[in-house]
Amino acid sequence: MESKVLKPILAVYVGLFILFLYGPFIVLGILSFQQGPEGGPQFPIIEWSTYWYRHLFGLTPPSRIAPLPVGEALVRSLTLAFMTMVTATVLGVMAAQAFRKRFRGAGIVFYLIVLGMMVPGVLTGLGTSLLANNVVGVERHWWSTAFLAHVVYTFPFAFLVMLAILNRFDGSVEEASWSLGVSPMKTFRKVTFPLIFPGVLSAMLFAFTLSFDEFPRTLFASGRDQTLPLAIYGTFSVEIHPNIFAFGVMTTLFSFALLAVYGILMGLSVRRAKKMAMQEDIA
Amino acid sequence: MAYDLQLTNVYKTYDNGTPAVIDFNLSVEKGEFIAFLGPSGCGKSTTLRMISGFETVTSGDLMIRGKRVNDQLPEKRPTSMIFQNYALFPHMNVRQNVLFGLEVKQMPKAQADRKVDQILEKLGLSDIAQMPTARLSGGQRQRIALARSLVVEPDILLLDEPLGALDANLRKSIQNELKLLQRDLGITFVFVTHAQSEALALSDRIVVMNAGRIEQISPPRELYTRPSSQFVARFIGSNTILPGTVTSRQNGNVLLQTAFGILAGANRAETDAHVGREMSIILPAEAVDLVPADVPEAEMRAAFGSNAIPCTIERLQIVGHIMHMIVRFNDGKQINVEGHVDKYRDRLKAGGSAFVAWKSANATVIDR
Repeated sequence: MESKVLKPILAVYVGLFILFLYGPFIVLGILSFQQGPEGGPQFPIIEWSTYWYRHLFGLTPPSRIAPLPVGEALVRSLTLAFMTMVTATVLGVMAAQAFRKRFRGAGIVFYLIVLGMMVPGVLTGLGTSLLANNVVGVERHWWSTAFLAHVVYTFPFAFLVMLAILNRFDGSVEEASWSLGVSPMKTFRKVTFPLIFPGVLSAMLFAFTLSFDEFPRTLFASGRDQTLPLAIYGTFSVEIHPNIFAFGVMTTLFSFALLAVYGILMGLSVRRAKKMAMQEDIA
Repeated sequence: MAYDLQLTNVYKTYDNGTPAVIDFNLSVEKGEFIAFLGPSGCGKSTTLRMISGFETVTSGDLMIRGKRVNDQLPEKRPTSMIFQNYALFPHMNVRQNVLFGLEVKQMPKAQADRKVDQILEKLGLSDIAQMPTARLSGGQRQRIALARSLVVEPDILLLDEPLGALDANLRKSIQNELKLLQRDLGITFVFVTHAQSEALALSDRIVVMNAGRIEQISPPRELYTRPSSQFVARFIGSNTILPGTVTSRQNGNVLLQTAFGILAGANRAETDAHVGREMSIILPAEAVDLVPADVPEAEMRAAFGSNAIPCTIERLQIVGHIMHMIVRFNDGKQINVEGHVDKYRDRLKAGGSAFVAWKSANATVIDR
């Protein structure tokens, strides 16, 4: 009786949720196939075409609409995201490892770290920029000040992921390794790291995606050369054309590709375990 | 001669000030099988972890083969630990687990392989060497852990409740294997357990611990026959404790005025059992006779002197060759008595009355 009422309500709720989640993206996706160069970023679709995708890659005859200035920005953003990912993950793993021992002041340090993701991004960005210009006196660049702001922002995420992983980690395998005469460094490399690797992968994914589309911090901290989100935003101030939508679809596909890589890497360990299980069945 | 393992005035106090181990003193000779026995939280595991180096020693001396190792890191100590949860490396198969210690030490491949093969053979693991450890049984996994530790040839093997996660039957068989293995290898084993049957079956000496302190160190049999404290008497076996006041002494025996009259036991601990001292008689369940009420009193007095307490038989239970008898004194106190079935069958029946009786030499008098 109860489920007869509840189930449809929940189904509608889930439906709405998914609609709101993917609705904007679907609209953008559809509009990216608008006719060009005359067609604008609105319905109705005059005629379906892949004009704006070709426009994106410079494959269309010159027109009054300038190509998106994203080429260099994309390279910058990917580089920055990669640098941020590596740094934040290394720091996150190390910090989480440190928190396994209840050192003095651990509680306060924990909140100080986590605060890094709570502080409004605009403030962090502005603060970083002021610090660079007025206090330290260095120029702002995407690879220096913005990189710093990105690490500060993504490190707590990597840290929390690793903390959750290490929380469930049974330290007795490490003790077993030490008691076999293996140094803590080697134990970390040969025992701990392989076992926490799925967590490390998750932390890397977090750090990369957060950095890749970071806007408010980068806006202030990056200086002259823009990252991808800034470059895209910059084009809005002139006039919006569906080429941005086409680009949006491309970057989303890229994100999915990233997720797929993550999934494959995660699946590898599972597959290895299964393979060993099969050997066992044969034996 | 240097001992294999020697702890002198060892204390462990946690950072928050909680004392975990208090004044621990023990000397272990090479090849001894030592058990640390006690209830959970008594400090037995902490002591083991200090020996392994996983816990620091707050004060005192910890010596292995005559060398002070207080400040030595775990990986530098000639000890190896076996864990209750096995702590196998889940990302390695059986052979890789066992090979790990030698590989990291960069032992030549051929030599390492030979050693691993030997130990796998010895522990009956050769057939499953290539398997992942996850789906193996508890007994197999514990054997892998043993192989992994023994292949690096430690001077002392530390075992932290190694049989705790196994079922009763398996525990028995691994117990036997463990004992044989230890005799065969001749290395020192230090074994932590809260199960007295394990400690009694395996060890040369048992260290009974309670609340961070050593209560008694003695061979298993003596824990029964000569408990040196109330705690040991309560913790080991099934003892009846009769408190009283010393009234006199007679050739090694002490007579106490108790709630059941004047009763006697042997003064094994050789304490100063002066008249008026508050002491207790400890009656091990298997050192007591249950005499049916129809036995003539003179006959009983001839055998047991004044050591007889009237009681009612509550319950009789036969387990194998042993008859377990639960009887009740007339003050309501219930106690356990046990003996060979042949001795008691047909002579006793539940609900009947009888005497709990003992020879003075079979009971021990200790301080309260």
